Amino acid sequence: MHKEGVKNFPYYVGIDSLEEVATKEDRVCVLNILGTESRTVTPVSHAFSGGNVVFGTSPGRSGQVLETPTGDIPVYNSVKEGLDAGHRFTTAVVYLPPAGVKDGVAEVVKFNPELKKIIIITEKIPIHDARIIRAICQTNGVDVFGGNCLGVADSWNRVRIGGALGGSRPEESLVKGSVAIYSNSGNFTTTIAVYLLTKGWGTTTSISSGKDVYIHFAPREFFHALSNDPRSKCAVIYVEPGGYYEKDLNITRPTVACVVGRWKARLTKACGHAGSLAGSGDDARAKERWFMDYFGVDDIYTPENPVFSKKGAVVTNIAHIPEALTKVMELNGIEPDFEPRGDLSLKCWFANNASIQVPRELDIQTVRAISPYGEQIEEILKQVGAQYPRQSMKDASGASMMDPTTQITKLHGVSILDAGKHSFEENLVLSVIKNYPDSYERELANTVLNGFVNSCNLPELLCADAARKEGNSPNTVLTSAISIVGRARVKDAQRIMEIIFDNFKLVVKDPAEPLDYKEIIDGLSDDDRVLFRASDGEDRVLRAMVDKVDGAGRSSVFVDFVRDVARGLPSRAALLAAVWATLAWKPLLRKDISRVTFVTLPWYSLLFSKMIACSVPAERHTEDAFCGVKDTELTGEWSFTETAFLALVGRRPTEEELFEFSLLLGLIVSNGPGTISAQGSKGAVSADGPEDPIRVQINKAFAGFLTHTGFAHGGNGYEAIEFLIERFRNTGLEDPGSAEHGLDLKKIADEYATWYGQYKTEQKAIGNIEYKKIPCVGHPVFKGKQVNYDPRERFIEEVFKERRIYNVFLDFYRTLVQSLFEARVTRNVFCVNVDAVIAVILLKMVWNTFTSGRMTEKEVENAAFTTFLFGRMVGCAAEIDDHINRGRDMDTRTPASRCTFIR
Amino acid sequence: MQLTGLLWGGKLLKKVEFPVADVLGPESSVDEIKELIKRHGEIFVKPVFKGGVGKKGKSGLIGRAKNIEEALRHKERLYFVEHSAGNITAKADGVTFEGFVPAKHEVYFSISESTVYRAPTITITHEGGVDIEEVPKDKLRVVPFDPLTGLKSYHIANALEELKAPKEIISPLVQNLPKLWTLYNNYGFSLIELNPIRMMPNAAGRLVPVACDFKATFDIDDPAWKRLELPPHLFASDYSEFEQEINQLRTYQGQSDVFVINPHGTITAPTFGGGANALVTELLGERATISSDFGGNPPYEKMLQISRIVFKYWLKQSNVLFIIGGKANNTDIYQTFRAMADALREYFQDNGPTPLFVVIGRGGPNLVKGMAYMKDTLDRLKLPYRMFGHDSAMSEVVNYALTVDEWMRQGGRRLIEEKLLGKREEPAQATV
Repeated sequence: MHKEGVKNFPYYVGIDSLEEVATKEDRVCVLNILGTESRTVTPVSHAFSGGNVVFGTSPGRSGQVLETPTGDIPVYNSVKEGLDAGHRFTTAVVYLPPAGVKDGVAEVVKFNPELKKIIIITEKIPIHDARIIRAICQTNGVDVFGGNCLGVADSWNRVRIGGALGGSRPEESLVKGSVAIYSNSGNFTTTIAVYLLTKGWGTTTSISSGKDVYIHFAPREFFHALSNDPRSKCAVIYVEPGGYYEKDLNITRPTVACVVGRWKARLTKACGHAGSLAGSGDDARAKERWFMDYFGVDDIYTPENPVFSKKGAVVTNIAHIPEALTKVMELNGIEPDFEPRGDLSLKCWFANNASIQVPRELDIQTVRAISPYGEQIEEILKQVGAQYPRQSMKDASGASMMDPTTQITKLHGVSILDAGKHSFEENLVLSVIKNYPDSYERELANTVLNGFVNSCNLPELLCADAARKEGNSPNTVLTSAISIVGRARVKDAQRIMEIIFDNFKLVVKDPAEPLDYKEIIDGLSDDDRVLFRASDGEDRVLRAMVDKVDGAGRSSVFVDFVRDVARGLPSRAALLAAVWATLAWKPLLRKDISRVTFVTLPWYSLLFSKMIACSVPAERHTEDAFCGVKDTELTGEWSFTETAFLALVGRRPTEEELFEFSLLLGLIVSNGPGTISAQGSKGAVSADGPEDPIRVQINKAFAGFLTHTGFAHGGNGYEAIEFLIERFRNTGLEDPGSAEHGLDLKKIADEYATWYGQYKTEQKAIGNIEYKKIPCVGHPVFKGKQVNYDPRERFIEEVFKERRIYNVFLDFYRTLVQSLFEARVTRNVFCVNVDAVIAVILLKMVWNTFTSGRMTEKEVENAAFTTFLFGRMVGCAAEIDDHINRGRDMDTRTPASRCTFIR
Repeated sequence: MQLTGLLWGGKLLKKVEFPVADVLGPESSVDEIKELIKRHGEIFVKPVFKGGVGKKGKSGLIGRAKNIEEALRHKERLYFVEHSAGNITAKADGVTFEGFVPAKHEVYFSISESTVYRAPTITITHEGGVDIEEVPKDKLRVVPFDPLTGLKSYHIANALEELKAPKEIISPLVQNLPKLWTLYNNYGFSLIELNPIRMMPNAAGRLVPVACDFKATFDIDDPAWKRLELPPHLFASDYSEFEQEINQLRTYQGQSDVFVINPHGTITAPTFGGGANALVTELLGERATISSDFGGNPPYEKMLQISRIVFKYWLKQSNVLFIIGGKANNTDIYQTFRAMADALREYFQDNGPTPLFVVIGRGGPNLVKGMAYMKDTLDRLKLPYRMFGHDSAMSEVVNYALTVDEWMRQGGRRLIEEKLLGKREEPAQATV
């Protein structure tokens, strides 16, 4: 059953001429107008077509609008609501997801008796739904284009309906002429139009038919409408294998048919366009033959073997279409529409041989690209620093990623296992500039990080002390402190970073190379010059910092510059800026970091220093020393990792301790963006509004990180330490780093396993399922085998073996999991997880201090928590910077619809 | 996604109460097989192929057995038998034992979508049991019907009447065949074929249509087939490991169609758009590792995942990474290029550098931004490249890629390898 349409067809077809496919009179309603694709495409179509979309639907969003260059398009919940509001339309465009297309078609047909056409953009519509759509539209007299198409367009009418034919610049490809295009491929619809321009042919109507099993507006309908279109002198049809839509056509105007896909005869499943599978007799060769028969030719047209007739030609390469069409039309005595525009020869826009000698035929040189691309390339080559598209960064990160299989997190592409082999200061540099420093750069980083540690009499230190005295946890203490270190503290250094960026970005490739910057200095304002000069009075630390930088082995154009502007000792701000500019310059040029990050680096640097500084009570900051170490010595001779160790343990670490401490910090830098600490950092950035990045307060973002740690996240490392202390407190253990400890670990482990087995049974018997668990044993992912391992723990074991490092506590843990299995407490040998590694390293570090009474259990607990904060600061700084660069304002919020109310 | 044979086909037919020959699976005991032979007097032993393999009978792949010894001999012969049709070779994984169905009449019946009628269509003949292509046109009927009302008894009755089918088979077929529409229409099929249906007399002497073989194709875009809860391994052989991994990313946002062309190819071409896919695959021929269509504006995350999988499987053996598409209408070039570049950088980080020449031909929104991102990445990785805009003919860009591949084979690859390994920028050394 079908409605009566054009007489020639035994089914309903409403369109009698191609002129009617996309007209100025068509009024359009877009279903799912606020969907991702429509949101981009519809405004361009609407503007190009002079405003033909009357309204769109998006359930639940009635009252909203879609902004377009030619005015807002109103949005309603449903088609009925839009019609009730007084809108009328003839054409529906469907952007619904596949499962909704059938219902969308039913809706629009049911409620709009004036409906003439439906254009379905959606891909992957089930065949089941496609046949129902056809049946509905046949019954109701509606023409359908698609699904899986890019819509229709008319260069004469300057109308585009549905999809994105011509992309964001339809006028480039939809040029008025005399060729009608019908294409199974959406992309090729306009690619062919662009190719035709090179021989002077423009277009009339362009139809992207889609290539699903159901093609509703098929070649038969196209060629009928072509024969009634006074504007179209000829046609190009692009088809692929599969289906009998091209069989028994009546082609009345000169046509070039492009049939591609002989190779698909080998396929047993769809690839590319659905339905283009070779079946029985509808493969590419069969289709070539059908068209050859229509045109009365006996071969494929190629430039070398140009076979064509007055009726047409068959090609198998779209690049041959313009030439073939021109030849066919010559026979018909018809000239192209206009002078050829451009050509199809190879035009290289970007090239690099990577210092390799390539043969001449491959060594194609770049040419200036056609407008506007040439201008864009010119501009983009001038651009310095990375630029990121903004998107919702809720639960997403461009900085860290945890592999769910290995549970190993990578930060800027570096796995935490590798991070553990780098020093703390190197990981801090990595966090913000995404690259590890070389040895010279590391010295520079150490200098400025240590140079700002001593905070004697500074408000942040006093604030920390006040918070500490009130009994707050280490993270709360540090939150109080760093909240004081606001933008004003770094405004001079940031201004100098801006000056360096703006003046040097196009001239310095390598900061180690000298440069004549006299003109830059001359161009500085007096207000700016003042920022570079050290204030009067002796600053021994500053002098020590400058000396250290000078003696670090290389020169830096930025250090020279700030010194020359200062005409003497540069200010602390200037030195801080010069050092970070030196560290960040190459990553900046490589577009690893953005301008925003570059300018913000001094703030991060200062916060890194203050985190270490304020973890130590004020009494240990004196006029010239930190924890008893002279500031000048700290600046000149210590690494920042050593300073962090000093802050925690009160002494300089041995070489082995330094290695283990770095390893410990490296292992905890990040656990991906889903961890609470990362979420806290990201939330703080999101709330400040990263779309205006300069407003984001980095210290507040650090506060976000810190307030999102606590006794359960960060402070829980102590549980394992407490567990180990209980096991070893009375054993007389003197040196946990010596394998000759004289203890019977197996006995200790067996006794505990037996006790624990009984305890567990008793607790279960009385119905207590919240019984005490053994910390750091087992893992939700690494389980189920006869013997289980956490690969991260295995990695550490290997590293320890390599360095001949022994740790009695780790040895005990490994013994314990075996004993638990033997005592039948566990079904198999559980793994020792990575948290145990962290605990055993830390406990080894403080064991002697603790057993000698110089450190209380509470202090050990605080040290464990603080260590976590130091390490995690690396990952959180990276998340903060990443979110500032990529995120949207308030993007971490959860929509009310996804929130749950619990009664 | 195809399914053949009665082992699983029988279960599906039972859902709509369509009679099926007695069938036992490969795990059946000797006693069970003996019992089957006893019940039917004779049994067929057929190999089980995952996915679609037709025309088994012709290739001697069906064994007939009247006793257990014969049955076991056929089992041994057919259990892992190989079957080739065209360029596809399939290996059996087990056998079925199917009870013989005595009958005078064999019927062919199928439901599928017809691009001639643009409607669901039945094909029927009472001269079944042979390949349908061999049945003379006047001996079969092809009948389209309205999907809104479905397949009705009268469609069957009229077709059989026109075919002058024996009267005694019409009524049982009219009663039973419409049941297959219920199966077809509700579970995402695009083809159901029963050949033969043997018309077996029941105890009362009345004929009953019994399905003796089954073939079906599912529409991968119709989730309805999941309601059948078929084990995924049934379709596993349809796809290579690589294809299966990519298929997991199949959503309506962006295409992700891939097909392995040559496991030993040297050009890996992430291709954008169905048209480009058809053209590029044809021109690259056996030099290509895969044929792909990643168009349809895939979001960054999806493109990243796809690229990771493509690179994991194919990059090491490739001489040319060839990113190719026409002038995109809607696909955001920046997002797709950024994803591919990031995946490439990750690959180099995780696996070390691999010698590659990168050739790109593309147009579309955010083109220059996308190319610039790719350029920065390739410069960083120290790889040679050429990028062409949409004003270069796609086929010319393909030819350029082929020439590069040839040069790589002739020593270019070695040159790049030496350069990459020799002057490779060492990652910062561990310092503590």
